[in-house]
Amino acid sequence: MRGRRFAFGAAAALIAAAIAGCRVNRPPNDHAATQTLYSATVSDPGTFNPILVTDSASGDAIGDLFESLVRVNPRTTLFEPGLAESWAFSDGDKTLTFHLRRGVKWSDGAPFTARDALFTMRVIYDPKIPNSSVSAMLIDGKPILASAPDDYTVVVRLPRPFAPILSSLQFSILPAHALATAYAAGRFNHTWGIDTPPDRLTALGPFLMTRYVPAQLLAYRRNPDFWMRDEHNGRLPRLKGEVRLIVPDQNAQYLQFQSGMTDVYRPRPEEVWPLEQAESKLNITVRKVGIDTGSLFFAFNRNPRHYVRQGATDPRYKWFTDVNFMRALAHAVDKRGMIDLCYRGLAVPAVSDVSPENKIYHNPNLKDYEYDLKLAARLLDEAGYRMIRPGVRGDPDGHPLVFNLTTNAGVPVRDQMCAIFKQDLQSLGITVNYRPLDFITLVKALESSFDWDCVLIGFTGGIEPNDASDFLRSSGNLHIWDPAEPKPATAWEAQIDRLMEAGTTVMDPYQRAPYYWQIQQILHDQLPIIETVRQVTYIAYRNTLENYEPTVWGFYHPEWIEFRAE
Amino acid sequence: MLRFLLRRILIMIPLIIGITFISFAAMSLIPGNFVANLALDPKISPQVLKQMEAEFGLDQPLMLRYARWLWGIAHLRLGVSLAYRVDVAHLIGPRVLNTVILALSSMALSWALAIPIGIVVAVRQNSILDRALSFLSFLGMSVPAFFLAFLAIDFALWSGWFPIGQTMSPDYASLDFWSRIADRVDHLILPTLVLGLAGVASLMRLMRSQILEIKNADYVRTARAKGLPESVVLYKHVLRNALNPFVTMAGYSLADLLGGAALVESVMNLQGLGLLLLNAVMKRDVPLVMGSVLMGTVLLLIGNLLADLALVAVDPRVDFTTLEAQ
Repeated sequence: MRGRRFAFGAAAALIAAAIAGCRVNRPPNDHAATQTLYSATVSDPGTFNPILVTDSASGDAIGDLFESLVRVNPRTTLFEPGLAESWAFSDGDKTLTFHLRRGVKWSDGAPFTARDALFTMRVIYDPKIPNSSVSAMLIDGKPILASAPDDYTVVVRLPRPFAPILSSLQFSILPAHALATAYAAGRFNHTWGIDTPPDRLTALGPFLMTRYVPAQLLAYRRNPDFWMRDEHNGRLPRLKGEVRLIVPDQNAQYLQFQSGMTDVYRPRPEEVWPLEQAESKLNITVRKVGIDTGSLFFAFNRNPRHYVRQGATDPRYKWFTDVNFMRALAHAVDKRGMIDLCYRGLAVPAVSDVSPENKIYHNPNLKDYEYDLKLAARLLDEAGYRMIRPGVRGDPDGHPLVFNLTTNAGVPVRDQMCAIFKQDLQSLGITVNYRPLDFITLVKALESSFDWDCVLIGFTGGIEPNDASDFLRSSGNLHIWDPAEPKPATAWEAQIDRLMEAGTTVMDPYQRAPYYWQIQQILHDQLPIIETVRQVTYIAYRNTLENYEPTVWGFYHPEWIEFRAE
Repeated sequence: MLRFLLRRILIMIPLIIGITFISFAAMSLIPGNFVANLALDPKISPQVLKQMEAEFGLDQPLMLRYARWLWGIAHLRLGVSLAYRVDVAHLIGPRVLNTVILALSSMALSWALAIPIGIVVAVRQNSILDRALSFLSFLGMSVPAFFLAFLAIDFALWSGWFPIGQTMSPDYASLDFWSRIADRVDHLILPTLVLGLAGVASLMRLMRSQILEIKNADYVRTARAKGLPESVVLYKHVLRNALNPFVTMAGYSLADLLGGAALVESVMNLQGLGLLLLNAVMKRDVPLVMGSVLMGTVLLLIGNLLADLALVAVDPRVDFTTLEAQ
């Protein structure tokens, strides 16, 4: 009966192991005592080199390590001093002089000077270094010239007055003394990769990285020499450290927050209500952050390259360029249904392509297309799109209305939104064939084969309206309904081009705004895209956290965040 | 034996080339390449994308790219990941370690449970115990492992006895050696239970049918007729023979567990190879995918070889000539 004894032995060992597991003490949460903020992030960074960053995970990982000349105040969306203490325009707004902060030190003790700023610009303009900062720094294709009359002054000369210039100069400043050798040797693209020991990253931000364990965590300690002081001349940041666990699965993140492993969590819509119910039990606060800054819309292909084949033009080209047809479709988008079903009520109808959170540039005067299928049917009838058979509507030439709808696969919310749209159009007699595509295949279709009819797609949004120029200008590659038009295909696209151009020449944000309001009005009237909804985002955090002021544009005064002394 | 080993190792080379070439070609045939990930970013201009394509060599023909990759492998370089810009070995290494530890511990658990239970139910065929355990094993086979993982995580949250996901605590680096071991073990218990229990059911069924088959073999009858005690018959004659297919299976399981745990790894946040590979395929990070494929292939081939060697050791009826003849 050795076998049975063996079986019992194995079972006993297992139970013993399980009990031992219970005995390994889960240490009491010491986050407050050590002033260390624990949070979770979904993926590993791709690089620690701020100029080579192309993904949000890398940007988040090193965001607190580096600074730029200017910062944005997330409440006002206006610029504030960063590494530059002040700046002034002169020479008819064609020269911009920055006065740099003195006494700022890199983590290796070297002083921060104008040399660092010039070095960073040289790297960005280097054609051998692919980066995402350069496109914003070319004005009509021409580079900005920068010089440093002394160690603490940077003079920037522009080919013409250019309003987005401060936004363009928001790149992270690199330490010239630490990276110049690698750059000169042509090794910059492989410098400060994720295999670099974190203490070798020469930084000057509020935090310094202490540890990176791939697929596990990123750890930071506060920069003892950080330049910022609070109103009582006290040291900032107030947190002594930060730990970011790398947790790809959102469910796991949710559970870890509930168990106290992490101190902050951004809940999905369906998790907001349960967390609000548990506020007192978990000793947390659930707070509304704001409205999504991006734009999620149905775009309709107006690209003749897709429709004109062997001399014949596909009828869909006529429908999608017919503003009456598009208006009928706009009235068939059930935004309320999408909000309730896909976002548990935690979203708002989107009217403009610019989020209302972009306080200066959002046009508040647009009137939404109300969801009204009867009106949509009447508009279609009036425009000549009549029912040709029961359940089938045809265009004025008698072609039945059928088109394809796609989006990127694997996003349940988008699936549901497409299903709602498809169903409503079905009731109007329009057949929609819905087939989601994996992201890269979708990009291929949008960018090079142009083989698509209608797509539900989202773009992220920033504060500077000129950042959307590749999307809005007719020559832009992300001019999604007809990319890179040789010349504007319609009068209104030409008008948008002119407004985009004019908007960059006026320096004052409030005087610039009308140009962009007008562009939003044109898109709203001409409907190359139909806006859907914007999610309202929430954040949950421990009640012991103080000065925790999240906004959609980042934290307000993040350096002031601390755990309350208990 | 040396001849056998040499032959098997030489055969591996064309196999590896064949498998990796097919994977490489498949990765290139699906539309889009790595830089397409960035194409919808308004901050990245088409010129920059072109530069990146040239830098990564994505604009070159398939054969040339494969030849380059193979040349690197011949020099023991797995290449540089496109998404992470570091050596693929640096990315795969720590994750393979996590996955292998989990694979071995869960394999050990399922064998430790399945073999004795299999014996018990086979010996008492058609008893209530047999029926009950068979019922449980069918239940176990039909519940997917990732669902068990969800239950386990929920249990951890509810009881507070176990950590929720991860393979180590955030303060791991500051612990002493023994606490580190304890911390690792602590994080390993739930995932091991989940993956181990999921595997028990089928292994136990296999053990049961093996024993039932061999119980009536001629040599077992002979052993009984010799007057050997029943326990000797069972453990010396029946069990030793019944274990043979398990030896072969162990070789396959090694590679199987590397990929098979991906869902559980995702749910329990264990940072194994599975998720890394999935993301790499989605992003078309060819060197990273190829590195993982190569790892899997080599492990499978080596596992097979080891299983064959072990079979020779445990089964006197099998020797190298019969193996080569196969």
